[in-house]
Amino acid sequence: MATTKTIHVKKHSKKHGKNSKSWEKEDDGKQPFYASPLFDFLYPFKAPGSQWVTQYIIVLFVLVISTAIGLGPYSGFNTPPMFGDFEAQRHWLEITQHLPISKWYWFDLEYWGLDYPPLTAYHSYILGKIGFFFWPPWFTLNESRGMETDGIKSYMRFTVLLSELVFYIPGVLYFTKWVGRRRKQSPVGQSIAAAAILFQPSLMLIDHGHFQYNCVMLGFTVLAINNLLDELYAMAAVCFVLSICFKQMSLYYAPIFFAILLSKSLFYPRWFNLARLFAIGIATVATFVAVFAPLYVFGGDARLENVIQSIHRIFPFARGIFEDKVANFWCVTNIFFKYKQLFTQEELQLYSLAATVAGFLPAFIITIFHPKKHLIPYALVACSMSFYLFSFQVHEKTILVPLLPITLMFVSSDWNVLSMIFWINNVALFTLWPLLKKDGLALQYFVIFIMYNWLLGNFSFVTPKFLPKSVTPGPSMSNVSSHYHRRSLLPDSIIWKLIIVVSYLCMFAIHIVDYAVPAPSQYPDLWVLLNCALGFGCFVLFWFWNYYKLFILRNKTIQDI
Amino acid sequence: MPDPVVVDNEIIKSSKTSEQEDQESEKDTKRYSLWNFWICSLFLKFLLIPDYFSTDFDVHRNWLAITNGLPLKQWYYEKTSQWTLDYPPFFAYFEWFMSQFVPKFVRNDGCLDIVPVGQFSWPTIVFQRLTVIITEFLLFIVLQIYINTSKPSEKTQSFVIASSIALSPGFLIVDHIHFQYNGFLFAILIASIVAARNKRYLLCATFYSIALCFKHIFLYLAPCYFVFLLRAYVLQIEGFKFRTYRDLFFIIKWKHLFQLGGIVVGIFGLCFGPFVFDMPQVLSRLFPFSRGLTHAYWAPNFWAIYSFCDKVLTTAVLRVPWILTVAKKTISSNLLPTSIDSIKQAIKQNNNGSKGLVQDVVFTILPQIPPKLTFLLTLLYQILAVIPLLFDPSYKRFIGSLTLCGLASFLFGWHVHEKAVMLVIIPFSFLVIFDRRLLISFMLVTSSGFVSLFPLLYKNEDFIIKCLYTYVWCVIYFFSLRKTTKVSSSVERRVFFLDRIAITYISSLFPMVIIIQLVDLLKWKYPILTKFEFLSLMTYSFYCSLGIISSWIGLSWLYNFDEPLWK
Repeated sequence: MATTKTIHVKKHSKKHGKNSKSWEKEDDGKQPFYASPLFDFLYPFKAPGSQWVTQYIIVLFVLVISTAIGLGPYSGFNTPPMFGDFEAQRHWLEITQHLPISKWYWFDLEYWGLDYPPLTAYHSYILGKIGFFFWPPWFTLNESRGMETDGIKSYMRFTVLLSELVFYIPGVLYFTKWVGRRRKQSPVGQSIAAAAILFQPSLMLIDHGHFQYNCVMLGFTVLAINNLLDELYAMAAVCFVLSICFKQMSLYYAPIFFAILLSKSLFYPRWFNLARLFAIGIATVATFVAVFAPLYVFGGDARLENVIQSIHRIFPFARGIFEDKVANFWCVTNIFFKYKQLFTQEELQLYSLAATVAGFLPAFIITIFHPKKHLIPYALVACSMSFYLFSFQVHEKTILVPLLPITLMFVSSDWNVLSMIFWINNVALFTLWPLLKKDGLALQYFVIFIMYNWLLGNFSFVTPKFLPKSVTPGPSMSNVSSHYHRRSLLPDSIIWKLIIVVSYLCMFAIHIVDYAVPAPSQYPDLWVLLNCALGFGCFVLFWFWNYYKLFILRNKTIQDI
Repeated sequence: MPDPVVVDNEIIKSSKTSEQEDQESEKDTKRYSLWNFWICSLFLKFLLIPDYFSTDFDVHRNWLAITNGLPLKQWYYEKTSQWTLDYPPFFAYFEWFMSQFVPKFVRNDGCLDIVPVGQFSWPTIVFQRLTVIITEFLLFIVLQIYINTSKPSEKTQSFVIASSIALSPGFLIVDHIHFQYNGFLFAILIASIVAARNKRYLLCATFYSIALCFKHIFLYLAPCYFVFLLRAYVLQIEGFKFRTYRDLFFIIKWKHLFQLGGIVVGIFGLCFGPFVFDMPQVLSRLFPFSRGLTHAYWAPNFWAIYSFCDKVLTTAVLRVPWILTVAKKTISSNLLPTSIDSIKQAIKQNNNGSKGLVQDVVFTILPQIPPKLTFLLTLLYQILAVIPLLFDPSYKRFIGSLTLCGLASFLFGWHVHEKAVMLVIIPFSFLVIFDRRLLISFMLVTSSGFVSLFPLLYKNEDFIIKCLYTYVWCVIYFFSLRKTTKVSSSVERRVFFLDRIAITYISSLFPMVIIIQLVDLLKWKYPILTKFEFLSLMTYSFYCSLGIISSWIGLSWLYNFDEPLWK
């Protein structure tokens, strides 16, 4: 008998009688991802005393799966002379190692010159130092270019894993716990939400497959959100500035953070809280100064130019409105209007700026008037999505930025919300397909795609009823009534159901033609463009839905997300 | 300490009612299906396809080629490649069967070429990896049957055990990375264990014979099966009264004996029949006695400790020569080397066990170990494990003696592979649910057994995955087993002090692995570390063998001297 289990539960429930009872009585059907395989795996550890086990399981499995993805190739594998993102990151570890800070942003710019903010450089510096300690040939200046040994691959993969473990995972766990407690979610429900967020396939495949350090930037953003939730505004500003200083992409969130901090110090909860305003201001400025100071202090002869050069490198306005094919407004409508011939570079920059501002302005205004905690993810999605859809120089990987707040909304328990978030996660992953295919990560893409959908219960519709119970897919250990009608992650509204199912069918069809039919010779990028068009359509619909939610939730509480 | 026990009992009593209520309400809602575990493990296995594989991959590819390309008679004579067929014929048939499904593009890739060294690429890798993944499905079926046929009150425990086997890091490391078919082979062995539990003795014998004809390593378990089936199925001891010698004749259930014998002989006939005229050749392939005492890397068994002691003594004697002279006076001198010079000579002649590939190991100070001695030791401990079974042929006893037989052969056998530890872990898993006190022993053998598999995957890219997967498995199942194993009435008799030591030992495995990896990475930098180069593997085997031996001692104690456990 499982005697100790009950003993454990009992002891615990005596201590926190109120807390644990409130969720025990909660209708199980209201738990997020109820009856999904993920729920089924974690349910046996539902006792509050065994929550450490669920956390271990989730984090370790995230790491195991990430490492397993990392066994595959990476971007630019075996493609001299320039290779890809992997080589770029390795190169930065190499140059920060050997050059004085004054040379970092100047050295051989043609070959993957450093074009990320200084925090990335410091991060590279530390990792490079550690790597150099273990095996110097990985990072010898110039000679290590294009190195592709087993050792360097393992080391670089390990650094991403470590960065994720340090910067991203704790933040997400804290976030789910914070929200879960406020919403009286069961501990196991919180863990399930955390797993759903941490297993987000796009980030996994880009960071551990394609190779980048997005988890650090996103991790700092999550920490900033956590600090906002805890009402530590100056700290939130610091974390957000660090996020920007790691990768400029997180500027996509900036209007919302600005709006919240401004509103919280000027209007809510009381007028003109100047102390708070100063604290936030000083924290922000001080963090920026601290991050850029080394560039100035160790800048050698041309200190100021060194700082300016770094900023030049970070914001390359000289590039075109879009580079590769990406599922945003400019790239998709470019099929019909050739922007590059119709307008000049400056005009395009202006238009894209105007469109972006128009896109995020409603969210900005709502946030100014309702700086409420439960609105933060929705506002961030609205803002960063409008950047993704309308701004200048967007990469396909940039979808990770709006995807973070989208995925954080997995703490919700509303089936409609969960379904929408889940759907857009799939779409986002789908728009990354051309990139991952180029990297040779097709196996990893499909395995992770299917795994995520299966884990969160999106394949519940394939449950054959005629087989004996023990061999049919279904809950093995969890307490799901056999009468319970399992359902896939689809919203209640018939229109949305239709849109989602049709979009899935289109994805499937595009994959099939992409595999089976060579693209016509006059349009070699046809399948990629179809991919982008579908992605763009879905993103826009989701963006509207998100605005609708933001609008109707503005006067509600955290219980209603 | 009477107080805590009383309190414990009270809690147990009070909680039992709620437990029963729980069970009643959950009776028809839990279905104990391994399906989700199977699907989930599939994803990881697919991701592992591009991973490193060992020479065993080419071994099995070569066997595919041999069985596909040559007539049956020549299978055991073929030696173009050094990886000759050295598994029993059922496995060869199995390879032949799989080779029928090789698609054309895989064949063109060189999958079925009989060549000294295989030339193949991605299609062959995917095909062979898929055969492992697909055939492992049998394991899930057998385990599901095990769960379904267990009593309702034991279903939770059965489920925990079944899933622990299905997700075992041993299978992940050995099958899906290193490359072998253990999941499939052990499924057959488990089928025989399940049949034994369900008192289907003929089925048990059938499955065991089949397993034996697939992989002859299962021969180590033969004494236990022999005695178990003999006592439980063939002999009629209950109600036996000796009047004349004629009664002895009726002690044997002749019908059962002939059924059993017929099945075993039949299966062996099916297996070896086609090779009946080539038996010497087949047997010489199956039992290559020319191999050394320890494998290339010492399996964590008794001989690892023996070799370790030899190394330590050699170093000590070379540093402090008078130890030898003292020792000579106390111990009969023909067991010891004559002088320091002769030791140095011996070291020069045969570079020691840590370096040798498949070669004989020679000890410099301690007496040499002849194969005969290892067999005698193995047999001795197996007989000790089997005797209680003769008096009490219950399923529990059977599993216990099976585990001990596996342990005895693993610890004292000749040329033992580290992979053979699965032969211990699998039966032990079925045993551990019976009593909480077995848990510590089980934890010792699983953790050190799995860790001892780590050197199989020496590539850096596998380091994280093997460590993390084993670690998370241990966290999940040590925790779940602690929650679900039966607490026996004599729980206060546990020696808590030893438990603490065992836990400390288990948790120190992790730093050991990390430190060895660091030493390995940094040995180019600090020349002093190269001195310890041979130490890293030796530490693995020495340290893991400590765990396995203590687990063996613990289990033997409970097996032989603990009465309530076997009621």
